[in-house]
Amino acid sequence: MKTDTETHPDPRDELVTHLPAMRAFATSLTRNAAAADDLVQDAVVKAWSNFDKFQPGTNLRAWLFTILRNTYYSLYRKRRREVEDPDGKMAGQLSEKPAHDGHLAMADFRVAFTKLTDEQREVLILIGAEGFSYEEAAVMCGCAVGTVKSRTNRARKRLAELMHIDDEDQLEMTDAATMAVVMGKPAA
Amino acid sequence: MANKRKTTQLDQQIDENLRRVYADAAQEPVPDRFAKLLEQLRARGDEEQPKPSEDQL
Repeated sequence: MKTDTETHPDPRDELVTHLPAMRAFATSLTRNAAAADDLVQDAVVKAWSNFDKFQPGTNLRAWLFTILRNTYYSLYRKRRREVEDPDGKMAGQLSEKPAHDGHLAMADFRVAFTKLTDEQREVLILIGAEGFSYEEAAVMCGCAVGTVKSRTNRARKRLAELMHIDDEDQLEMTDAATMAVVMGKPAA
Repeated sequence: MANKRKTTQLDQQIDENLRRVYADAAQEPVPDRFAKLLEQLRARGDEEQPKPSEDQL
């Protein structure tokens, strides 16, 4: 079946518009800018040779992200153990670019994020940042919807722990302060 | 109950932060190598019919 260029734009033309998001997703997975670009390159090449399998009219970004994360788990996760620094580099890089307000809290957040497991970072980006549904993310990750949900919950909980806002009683008492920390904004 | 509600609030705040970090990353300019890569892939696709043996990347 050929791509119907009358009704749907050619995904080959659209691909370029997804590159920034692919790089951001890849960076979240690899936690290393150089490895992220290699990963995106591999994913693009793979996508290109599989465009005949892409269903026109379906979500191209989801399709590309699926290829990207599969490539990561099949190739990069192993490779990374041999080569790379874990926590430090990405955290350091990211905290060079503070948000205008409350950049310390944001830096904390970024560091905490890099300490999550691959699977936790993945679901948080897909669900929390990209806004995919649990169902969509489950298809992309090749696992059950319930798995995605519990993974997301655990990831959020772990993030809060890492940022020392783990105790719910405490959270209640320091709500404004917590909000300020998490939001990266001054309390007032 | 109250805890549950606050947890949800916390989740929303975490997502807010995630979106911000992610948007920052997605705002970075895409390096030239990707424009070149797409060019190469297109060129390769155009001459795909003659022979698919070109594997230089």
